[in-house]
Order: sequence, then structure tokens, then C-alpha cells
Amino acid sequence: MWPCGNERRELCMQQRDSATEVRRSFLGWLIGAIAGLIVIVTGIPLVGFTVLPALRRRSQGWVLAGSVVSLDSGIPREFEVVVSIADGWRKTTRKKSIWVVKDQRGAISAYSAICPHLGCGYRWEAEQRRFHCPCHHSFFDLDGRVLSGPAPRALDTLPVKVEDGQLLVMYKEFKAGTSAKMEL
Amino acid sequence: MWQRLYAWLDERLKLSPLRIALLDEPIPGGVSWIYVFGSVTLFFSLFQMITGMFLALYYSPSLEDAHASIRYLMEEVPFGRFIRGLHHWGASAMMVAIGLHMLQVFLYGAYKRPRELMWIVGVVLFLLTLAFGFSGYLLPWDQRAYWATQVGINIVGTIPFVGDVLARIIRGGQTLGAMTLSRFFALHTLFLPWLLMLLIGIHLFVLRRVGPAGPWDEARARALAEPFWPKQVAMDAVAIGIGFFIVVGLAVGLSAPLSDPANPSDTSFTPVPEWYFLFYYQMLKYMEGPWEIAGTVVLPVLFFLALFLLPWLDRQPERRPFSRLVVVGTGSVFLVVVLVLMSISLQETASLRLADAAMLRGKVLYKELDCAGCHRIHGQGEAVGPDLSYVGDRRDRDWLIKHFRDPQAVVPDSTMPAYGLDEEDLNDLAQFMLSLKRREE
Repeated sequence: MWPCGNERRELCMQQRDSATEVRRSFLGWLIGAIAGLIVIVTGIPLVGFTVLPALRRRSQGWVLAGSVVSLDSGIPREFEVVVSIADGWRKTTRKKSIWVVKDQRGAISAYSAICPHLGCGYRWEAEQRRFHCPCHHSFFDLDGRVLSGPAPRALDTLPVKVEDGQLLVMYKEFKAGTSAKMEL
Repeated sequence: MWQRLYAWLDERLKLSPLRIALLDEPIPGGVSWIYVFGSVTLFFSLFQMITGMFLALYYSPSLEDAHASIRYLMEEVPFGRFIRGLHHWGASAMMVAIGLHMLQVFLYGAYKRPRELMWIVGVVLFLLTLAFGFSGYLLPWDQRAYWATQVGINIVGTIPFVGDVLARIIRGGQTLGAMTLSRFFALHTLFLPWLLMLLIGIHLFVLRRVGPAGPWDEARARALAEPFWPKQVAMDAVAIGIGFFIVVGLAVGLSAPLSDPANPSDTSFTPVPEWYFLFYYQMLKYMEGPWEIAGTVVLPVLFFLALFLLPWLDRQPERRPFSRLVVVGTGSVFLVVVLVLMSISLQETASLRLADAAMLRGKVLYKELDCAGCHRIHGQGEAVGPDLSYVGDRRDRDWLIKHFRDPQAVVPDSTMPAYGLDEEDLNDLAQFMLSLKRREE
């Protein structure tokens, strides 16, 4: 390193520049490496921080529906379940309906109380022994199969288990209007 | 490839003069490690803006949600704890960087003619940095934030005549609450960043127009000049890298604190400000009664007035520190006083924090051992054994620990069982007992 005085400073600096070309490229590399490291060490966490929570699926555990000891086989009953919904840091609970059916052998199944056609609530018609959705007149039998009407698929079944006579259900919602059952 | 891209852009945007202006600017006296702090400060202000922007993705500035949103961010969002740590420690790093930068400029007399404007803008930037620190501290809306801000605004309230009005304007009303939180959020994330960017722009513009000051030895400054690129940039980059990795280490090792949600009715909480306000906090402790106003108004006003007027208070062209003994001496005394006050305060608050933690663990232990099955504190629990509401006034630590270890050794007819606690538990429980007093001293 030699000093550049005021006289012909520019020329002097130019000469020195070419003489220290090697040093320059090393310093350029060093600067780039530090900048790159900083970008990577902050960039990856920042991307993960922004993207990952948006991709996370909501997991819903078992919720209690109630006692099924007194449930008669072949006669569906509507149950209310309290579902906890997490919207970020806000945890709220909401009441949701399900239909529960016990078949001849005592096996229990539960249907989401939302019609798979366009999302109305359907009801049980005891005399005709069928489910009827009043919005567009879709009919379903006790096993949830479509009897007639515009519904594109059978009623949506939900995972259930019975412990000590208490029915536990894993509440889910599904996309309406499609022939395939797609969880929301 | 980069060269071709640069050539393509250069042909259209005429970048070369810009590059020469930004990177080839000569530094009088040559490059030096002492000049890195300005760049480090600039880096951390950008760093704070970027990490802050991302934190805002998960923050909600309302009384109901603020604390919960930060807890969510720290516990459930991937990297959330790390990113908040970066912002938290980045603020401290920014304070250190701007402090060292000002110190260098002060020592080198670089504020003197023709650089007065750069200095004044710099002092405003320093004030903005303090405002960032103060406004950001409230946002988590935890106990620390609430009580420290309460105290901070009350200090403003002691200003004669206008104090009350000013405090109301800062709070957005009579009490610290929803209005304050929105105000501080808007200030911290919208008003201050714009102002900061504008002033940084002016600061750098002035720097480019008048050039850096260089060494205090004018002969050396004239004798030698080196361009900013690449050596000074490399030194700046190394300093920035060191600062950055210290902040990363702190963010990984020590997560940013979040205490319980703000509770205006819990007056037992002792607020402690961030470390860079500690010296001031400590100084206020010594100023009581009529002296209070000296600490809350007179000294801060004088201090900032002196800072703003420094280029005119110290106006001879001489920049050598040894030829400016009065100014440099005053600055050194100020610095020593700040450091002494800070270390006293750090000692006091550290023991306070340790005692608090032990007291809280003792409280948990009291519950776990079901002490309330026999003892009563302020009406809670059974009255089989002695009432413990004010046990801290009656007993000392040694007595309590001996008693917990073997009750009958101290009180022969006691029916209390020995619980076989280890040293730490004994100490924690004693700490909780000692906190049960009629009046805090």
C-alpha cells in the first residue's frame, strides 16, 4: 500500500487499483460471503415463518357427542357437539350438529348434518324413513345413500368411537357440491 | 454473467457515475476500523425494519389480542421465537451501534464545520431510535410493558404546565389502554419508520456532499486517501457480520421475554425498563421531591440541547481530542456517570429478578405441598398451624430454612412434618415466606 498525495490523486489511485486487483477480488468475495450468510440465516427463517403456518392443517381431536346407550337401532337422532376452532391465537368453540344412526347389529355411524349438495341442513322424516334436505329436495336412506335429488354423493360419514356408552366423534367438514368427499 | 448484466444495465441507466459517487469516494487519511459504526448502525436499522415487518404478520394491536398473538407467534409459529429474538436483540444492537457511532464522531470532532448538519440530523436519528425503543416496548402488552410505559408517560406528566396535556396526547386519553396501544403501534410501525428513512437519506446525502471527516490530524488527512470500495466496505462488512452473529447467538440462546398479560390492578409488579434506559431510571431514584423535576425535565432538556448545539459550543477548527480537553472531558465524565448508574441499576435489578423467580417457585411449591391444608394466608387455607399472612415480618431466612428442614428442632411442640426438601426448594419456599409482609420496604 502506497499513499496517494493530493497531486495526481486520481491517477495514483488508478495505478494502485490495478496493482491490488488480487486483493480486490478477495475483498469482493469476503463482502459477498458475509452478505450471503446474512441473507441465508435470516431469509430461510423468515420464509418459514411466513409460509409454514398458512400451510398447516387444522387437527381436530375427538369430541364428546353424548350417551348412545338409549339410542334405538334404526332411528337416527341429532346430536350437538362442541367443536373448538383455532383461528390463529383466537380459540373459540362452536356448536355443530351431527346425525347418529345405530344399525341392526348395533354398529354406530355418524353423518355430518350438512347436505353434501350445497350445504343446507337436512332432517329425518320418520314416516317415510328417509333424510330430506328441504333446499333442493335431496333424499337419503338410513345408510346415507342418495335416494333421489341433486346431491352428488352420499351423506358424509364421520369417524366415531364409543367408550363406556359415550359417543366420541371426530368432527370434520367437507366441500359441498362435488361427487368426491373432500375435507375442508 | 454479472458483468454482462451490469454492462447491459449500465448502457441503459448510466450507472457508472453513480457507482463512482457511491463506492469510489475517497476517504481522507485512508480506511480504518474506527469508521465502521455508521455502516453497522445503518445495517441494524434495515435489519429492524425487515424483522419488524415480518413480526407484524402475526401481531394484533388490540388489548384482547396483543399478548395472545405474541404468545402464539412464539409458541406455535415456526421460527417465531427466533424472529422475535432477532428483533428484540437487534434493537439492543442498534443502540450499541448508534452509541459507538456517536462516540466516534464526538471523539474525532467530526461534527465541526462544515458537518454541523450531519450531526444535527444524527442527533434527531438518535432521538428517533429512542422513540422506537420506547414505543416498541409497549406492544407485547405484558406486565413489563404496561408498567414501564406507565412510568415513562408519567415522567412526561411531570413537565410543568404542559406535562398533563402531553401525557394525554401520548396516551391518547386519560388512562393507558386501547388508545395508547394503537397509537404506539402506529408510531412504531408507520410514523417512525418513514421519518427514519427520510432522515437516514438526508444524513447520507449530507455525507456524500461534504465527505467524511477523516483523522483529526489534518496533515495525515491530506497526505493519503483511499476509496470507500473495497477495503472500507470489507471492514464494514466484517463489523456488520460480527454484530449480526452476536444478535443471532442471543436470539437462539436467550429468547425475548414475555411476562404475564398486562394487569392494571396488580400493583405489586416492579417495572424495569430496557437496559439502555436503565441509567436514567437509576438516576431518577436519587431525585426525590423538588429534585424530581431536575431529573425528569431539566437534565434531559439540557442534555439534548447540548447535543444539538455541540458544533457551536465547540467551534474551533481544532479536532485533536487533547486540544479539546473541556469538551472531551465533559463527554468522558458523562459517559462514566452513565456507565456507573447503569451498572448499579443492573446489579439491583438482577438481584430483584432472581429474588422474584425464587419467590414464584416458592409460591408454586406452597401449592404443591398443600401448605394451605394447615396454614392461612389472607384468609385462604385452614387455621390449624400459624397464620402466615405476615410471616415475613416475624422470621428471617435462617430460621425459616432451619424450620422447614426439621420443624421440631425449632418449635418443639410443632405438629408440622419435615418435608425433606432439597436446598433449592428450601430457599425458594423461604423466599416466598419472606415476601409475605405488611408493607414493601
